[in-house]
Amino acid sequence: MWLYAARRLLLAVPLLLGMSVVVFGLMRLVPGDPAVVVLGYKATPDAVRALREAFHLDEPLPTQYLRWLGGVVRGDFGLDFRQNEPIGRMILDRLPVTIELTLLATACAALIGVPLGLLGGGRRGGAADRASLAIGLVGISIPDFWLGIMLILLVSLGAGLLPSSGFVPFVESPAENVIHLILPALTLAASRAAVLGRLTRAAVLDTVRRGFVQYARAKGLADRAVLFRHVLPNAAIPIVTVLGLQVGYMLGGAIVVETIFTLPGVGRMTLDAVLERNYPVVQSTVLVIGAMFMLVNLVTDILYGVIDPRVRQR
Amino acid sequence: MRQWIRVPAGPRGVALTGLAVVLTLALVAMLAPAVVPGSPTEISKDLALRAPTLAEPFGMDDLGRSVLSRVVHAYRVSLGVALGSVALALVLGGPLGLVAGYAEGATDQLIMRPLDVLMAFPAILLAIALMSVFGTGVALVSIALAVVYTPIVARVVRAAVLAAKVEIYVDGARALGATVPRLVLGHILPNAATPVLVQASVLMAIAILVEASLSFLGVGVRPPTPSLGLMLADGRGFMLQAPWMVVFPGLAIMAAVLGFNMLADGLRDWLDPGSA
Repeated sequence: MWLYAARRLLLAVPLLLGMSVVVFGLMRLVPGDPAVVVLGYKATPDAVRALREAFHLDEPLPTQYLRWLGGVVRGDFGLDFRQNEPIGRMILDRLPVTIELTLLATACAALIGVPLGLLGGGRRGGAADRASLAIGLVGISIPDFWLGIMLILLVSLGAGLLPSSGFVPFVESPAENVIHLILPALTLAASRAAVLGRLTRAAVLDTVRRGFVQYARAKGLADRAVLFRHVLPNAAIPIVTVLGLQVGYMLGGAIVVETIFTLPGVGRMTLDAVLERNYPVVQSTVLVIGAMFMLVNLVTDILYGVIDPRVRQR
Repeated sequence: MRQWIRVPAGPRGVALTGLAVVLTLALVAMLAPAVVPGSPTEISKDLALRAPTLAEPFGMDDLGRSVLSRVVHAYRVSLGVALGSVALALVLGGPLGLVAGYAEGATDQLIMRPLDVLMAFPAILLAIALMSVFGTGVALVSIALAVVYTPIVARVVRAAVLAAKVEIYVDGARALGATVPRLVLGHILPNAATPVLVQASVLMAIAILVEASLSFLGVGVRPPTPSLGLMLADGRGFMLQAPWMVVFPGLAIMAAVLGFNMLADGLRDWLDPGSA
């Protein structure tokens, strides 16, 4: 088991390095002088020269890359020239919001999606199955940002039930914190719940065919007991894998949802930086979100090995 | 657990419904000026925020432009970006996957490892990063999406090639002296058709969603080009006075995405019953 986990971890290192090269290279492809892009066209030559020096823009690219990578490894993402604040600290301030949103959305997706799939897969072809299939198909087709707008329109503005924007830190008021995150989490979770529902249904249908389920039914066990004691534990393997992938997807979706609900997370920080052409910040947040995405996939892979011993042998 | 009862709609029905939706929308987009006589960009201040009527069933936006006319014209952008990005990804990713799967070994590693790096980013994040570097516009959205899609297409083709290579009929063709191009194009590649077709349909659905998202966020299509995402961004400010400005463009996105998803689902179950 430890060997398997260690091997997976080792495989993650070249992937991370590759991601850093992509992010670094991409930002160097920006047309024009990066210093002028950051400072604007009205910048004085002195300011441009100072920035070029501060960012070491006159050095060869490989040297620039290694210097940047060396800093990133130590958690030093450099200074944001607009805010005059270390980028690492800015990310650290906003990361908890994104992580909490993602975790809450994951819980919502699992709590909605898995029962939806069980409902359908348990009775193939029945009314519940057709309903859950239809919900799943519509669910994966709803644009998340539109769902967010509709929820704001109907729930916040229409019924006046939940807040449509803003964020309250958990330490200030746990209740307010959760209330402000309900709509964003549901928005982020909806399409993922649909994906999970479809997959759970497929996993259940696949398991129901197996001999041990036929045996359990033959010995007279009730449908419900068969479903929960024999089918679900075996169907759980693909469900966990896909849940992991969905968490990663939500890290990307958080950019959209944080923007709609004005949450101060890393996603919105990324978009703001993109719109302001603040490339040092874009470079850092894209790498951080990408690394988190990879980390989640890595943990899922390892978990997969824990649940299913056969995977470890490969 | 009555497995022997077939789902009444049947995979063929689902696929054909999806195809019908997709073709209808494509036809509407192509014939846009004939379908909606009104201009999508003509501004008339006295009609601003007018509620839906029989003549203008989707209402008017804040500048007095017809929402229906804009939705129909925006489909041109949506479907154009989807078609362009998927076609480009097939052209780029198809040969890469084919070579990687057929050659295996070092060549395979050389092709697939860099593509793995691209796939290690969440799709929308990579698309936003690309847009931030290269700027906005219809063509650039399509190219950014094609970059995101290329590794996915390569993986699907590679997997199909790997699976087909060990089939007995391929060995047979080789024993009969088929040349490598003939072996690959005539006997191995046709096996990739079904998974690629299904994947292409899924990618079209995602492309429509991502284009709308990017445009909504301000890093996609540039105004005044009518785009469903841009319309939603504009409509947000008038949500309470003119809910039709956000309701109809959203439903329009959903209809197109649903069409492609149904097509993909139906095709998968219909052409490849074993996988469902």
